Amino acid sequence: MHKQRTNAIVTLYHKLGSPPSFYRISGYFLKWLLLLSIGLLIWGLYEGLVLAPADYQQGDSFRIIYVHVPAAWMSMFVYGIMGLCGIIAIIWRMKVAEAVMMASAPIGAWFTVIALVTGSLWGKPMWGTWWEWDARMTSELILLFLYIGIMATYSAFSEDSRKAARMAALIAVVGIFNVVIIHFSVKWWSSIHQGTTVSLMGESHITWDMLRPLLIMAFATKFYYGYSMLKRARIYLLETESHKRWVQDTVNESNNGDKS
Amino acid sequence: MNPFLALVKRDLTLGLRRKSQIYQPLVFQLLVVTMFPLGLGSGAKTLALIAPAVIWILALLASLLTLDQIFKNDYDDGSVESYVLTSYPLPLSVMAKVLAHWLLTGLPLVLFSPIIAVLLHLPSSSYGVLMLSLLIGTPIFSFMGSIGSALTMSLKHGGLLLTILVMPLLTPVLIFGASAVVESSLGNSATQPLLLLSGLLVLSFTLVPFASAAAIKINLE
Amino acid sequence: MPLIKATDIACQRGHHLLFEPVSFELSLGQSLLISGPNGIGKTTLLESIAGLRTIQQGVIHFNDIELSKNKDNWFDQSFFIGHRTGNKKELNCLENLRSFLQIQGIQISEQQAEDALQAVGLAGYEYQFAGSLSAGQKKRLALARLTLIDFPVWILDEPFVNLDVEGCDWLLGILKQHMDNNGLLIITAHDNREIQELVSHKLLLESSL
Repeated sequence: MHKQRTNAIVTLYHKLGSPPSFYRISGYFLKWLLLLSIGLLIWGLYEGLVLAPADYQQGDSFRIIYVHVPAAWMSMFVYGIMGLCGIIAIIWRMKVAEAVMMASAPIGAWFTVIALVTGSLWGKPMWGTWWEWDARMTSELILLFLYIGIMATYSAFSEDSRKAARMAALIAVVGIFNVVIIHFSVKWWSSIHQGTTVSLMGESHITWDMLRPLLIMAFATKFYYGYSMLKRARIYLLETESHKRWVQDTVNESNNGDKS
Repeated sequence: MNPFLALVKRDLTLGLRRKSQIYQPLVFQLLVVTMFPLGLGSGAKTLALIAPAVIWILALLASLLTLDQIFKNDYDDGSVESYVLTSYPLPLSVMAKVLAHWLLTGLPLVLFSPIIAVLLHLPSSSYGVLMLSLLIGTPIFSFMGSIGSALTMSLKHGGLLLTILVMPLLTPVLIFGASAVVESSLGNSATQPLLLLSGLLVLSFTLVPFASAAAIKINLE
Repeated sequence: MPLIKATDIACQRGHHLLFEPVSFELSLGQSLLISGPNGIGKTTLLESIAGLRTIQQGVIHFNDIELSKNKDNWFDQSFFIGHRTGNKKELNCLENLRSFLQIQGIQISEQQAEDALQAVGLAGYEYQFAGSLSAGQKKRLALARLTLIDFPVWILDEPFVNLDVEGCDWLLGILKQHMDNNGLLIITAHDNREIQELVSHKLLLESSL
């Protein structure tokens, strides 16, 4: 009984590890992930921007957290996924891990940009300035540099995409150790330089009416990431495996499907 | 002579014969430091205020100038094969390369720093902490740079990519290094940032050689 | 039992296979000449066998153990000279020879190094920087390592390139000597007739397209 169970897990691992089955299995999820993310996005934004009560200190300007905070969460979540895939790509040379990692990079980078821009928009009414070197914003900015470094490494070796992916994986793994150190060092730095400033996520008590839309948005962005990442990873696999039989079969199949 | 010492000795000989790798970063530092009074005004107070940050940023930039050379020359002429195709552990050879690079470029920066400090009116009581912080911090530049150099060694123009890769990773070094000097110039104890900096050195000493070795192997494929 | 047994090995550049997978078996005293048209991947194959690259398809057994699990043993018994000579232009010939081997853990005396330089026709160049040598002399300097090592397996990528007639004769002589001493040789050589007669095995790489 127990043996069968582990076998099932091992089989699933191997299935997801092979590009053709990954392509096939991920195809079933795409539509649902997209629908879920759009639905939750509309619901979350409506609750957050219309229904949630205004903050007694910040008024309506606090509502930007419904975009800023989920984007900031995603910027770190995606980086974590990339680090994990990077380890798998280096140790087991799993092609699907390379695809997921490189597919995640631009999505994570854009979430980081959104977090930075919304943070700066929020900073104007809060601090009276577009940019304040507070710990979170500084870490977020350095995170953006790490994303850019990973993508730049990949494109520098673009003539050999497998080598490029493994090089980028190494940077992602080194980065994952460093993100932690950078985060704490920046926090330490801001604590000695600024004392206590108003942090973007202050310790103000947040009511359930305010928190609920935030959680909805957190799920919406996760599903969106799932959709966008799978879609990009599928294209990545089609491109890099274009000489393989399964890709030709897949392309022929979809051409026939269009005709009928 | 064991392979480690042989590699260090060879790289030191090469560095001392090339020379440019040693003196050019120092000239660069002098040049840039000259720009500050010209741009900011020569007020001793202003200069002293920015001195800790400027000295540390200059050390960072001067190191970046030579980091790509750690493995690039060896890749171009093929001598990288002499330490990859051997049973001697590659991470140890990486350490030898890093040690030689630091002796040739990092140590001169440490020894040269009082001159930069004089030019920027840093209080003389902080010289000790300045040199100590650079002594702990510059090897981390060489260690982290070895990853970037190993990754970019096969590229024709990898210098800019290396900068983009390595600079974000070095922000903690800059934070702790510069604040050690700031604290001491304000008359406070610099122990905490110096300890944190030492922690970073220990971390990079133990982990980075493995990352660089992996990067070399991937790059040779 | 063969010392080296390669089964269905192939190399990739990017995502496509360079040549049809090849297999061979070699024992001590045997030699293999790898040939094929330009760009087919001879150098890539040789570097993969030497251990510079990972073998992406197929498997090589060394002493009946998979090569990837037996790397240290392999490195202690095989010696590779590639198309990049590994000479440092700021070091003189003696220093080049000694430092390259020292980094690989091989100690040689100054006298031995001088003898090696003499053997390859570089007598009188001991204190000349490698940067000032001609291409053929640089190749000779790299090949001088062969006279100083006692590794059973030699892997040489186009060793005849840039050598003059005299140099080719010297190299053929030392290769013959290596074979007579029960050594093993894997070599690529583009247009050398005599090597064709020397080797015991030949392998022609064919395009996989």
